[in-house]
Amino acid sequence: MLSAPQLWQPFHEFVFMRRALLGGLVLACSTAPLGVFLILRRMSLIGDAVAHGILPGAALGFWFAGLSLPALTFGGLGAGLSMAGLAAWITRRTGLREDASLAAIYPISLASGVLILGIAGKRLDLLHLLFGSALAVDGPTLTGMLWVSGFSMIAMALIYKPLLLDTLDPLFLQTVSRLGPVAHGVFLTLVVLNLVIGFQAIGALMVVGLMMLPAAASRFWSHRLPVLIAIASMLGCLSVWLGLLLSFFYSLPSGPAIVLVAGGFYLLSVVFGPVHGLLRRPILPTSQ
Amino acid sequence: MIRCQALRWGAPGQPLTPPVNFELSTGSLTAVIGANGSGKSSLLKVIAGLQKPLTGKIFLDVSRKGSLSFLPQQQHLDRQFPISLQELVAAGFWGSKQSPDLRNQRLKTALEDWCLSGLAHRPLMALSGGELQRALLARMSLAQAPLLLLDEPHAALDELGQALLWKHIHAWHAKGRTLVVVCHDLAAVRQHIPHTLLIKSSGSVLGPSTELIRQQPLTQVA
Repeated sequence: MLSAPQLWQPFHEFVFMRRALLGGLVLACSTAPLGVFLILRRMSLIGDAVAHGILPGAALGFWFAGLSLPALTFGGLGAGLSMAGLAAWITRRTGLREDASLAAIYPISLASGVLILGIAGKRLDLLHLLFGSALAVDGPTLTGMLWVSGFSMIAMALIYKPLLLDTLDPLFLQTVSRLGPVAHGVFLTLVVLNLVIGFQAIGALMVVGLMMLPAAASRFWSHRLPVLIAIASMLGCLSVWLGLLLSFFYSLPSGPAIVLVAGGFYLLSVVFGPVHGLLRRPILPTSQ
Repeated sequence: MIRCQALRWGAPGQPLTPPVNFELSTGSLTAVIGANGSGKSSLLKVIAGLQKPLTGKIFLDVSRKGSLSFLPQQQHLDRQFPISLQELVAAGFWGSKQSPDLRNQRLKTALEDWCLSGLAHRPLMALSGGELQRALLARMSLAQAPLLLLDEPHAALDELGQALLWKHIHAWHAKGRTLVVVCHDLAAVRQHIPHTLLIKSSGSVLGPSTELIRQQPLTQVA
């Protein structure tokens, strides 16, 4: 196992490790509340859908500008936002369930992405796009991550109350305020924004893991929403730190290492968590 | 005041009644009765602005946002939602400009009024249906809206809870609020609610409850 000095030494010694750590930590903090709310809104799988949906935008960006960071980011952002926006609009206008409407939009988006890459005739490294590399976080990417994470945390704090009510009791919120759709829209935007900025660092699919695993794990530790968010952030940060260390000392790919550490925390929580963990009784019915 | 002109509501292409006209004055207490599927709940939603009427118009003398409280029939509240009963009730303060001290005081009183003091810190998961219903009613009483729409508020309540409910309905009525209550318990309507709006597929009738519900019904009309 690792000795105590080894827990810090790589970050002390190498700039790229420091960058990866800092980027990962802020990302973990800003995705934690998003993951918790996604679960509460029964949208846990939406992160995956959006992560795939980013593809056509990134592909278009690649087609026009080659492997350029801003082009990929803005392309991904555009595709992700229009997909999430379209799905949310269809839900609000027709009553189709949100997961169904996203599940319908995302294959369209993914297929167009693959089609665009095919027409472009070049091969963007799909693996890099989907799984990324935390150790390749450079200065500009880190700055971008800090801005997005900071903005995202402030925005979440601002929409916290209306989002909570829109999630728990949308009919009630509708009778007292018009903020429901606003909070809903801002929330989805933040999800896309975090996935896009994260896909540069640890890959689109791996950010989804960092977003959802600590959030799902936290549910086994508390009944109170603010505590859930705090625990999810903490578990996310721990996963980033331990994951990067494992990746450094055992030459593992960093994204999967981080997500697997988070997965370990999740499994431990399922078993040992005081709130309906496997070792606790009574087991409550899952419905209602 | 609620005035409906040539109002039709229901699913698109399937209006539940012919065009209906009625007016409920400010400060009135009105029951809505009718058979299952006659459109009582939808009518409340149309009044609350949560559903669009098919034709016709509704005029309210208050704005819909903030001046109207709606208690829906089936609570599809997620019982696993990680907040406490007290936090749920406190949502009734939305948009209120009262000081935190006053709010705390009012919250405490509301919890006492609805016999919920001992349950304040319970998570939603650990509440019974009746306790949750009382919590939603307590939230409604904090909101102080002048127009209250209640869809079967007595559902899930035991005898004690129902007594509490009627007590509060009378108190709200005495304070000059306008109340519309969908209720299946015709005996209770006759006893507690002065006016009744009867909805039938042939139209609607508004009149004094004692006239519309003449004899003591033997069974509750479902």
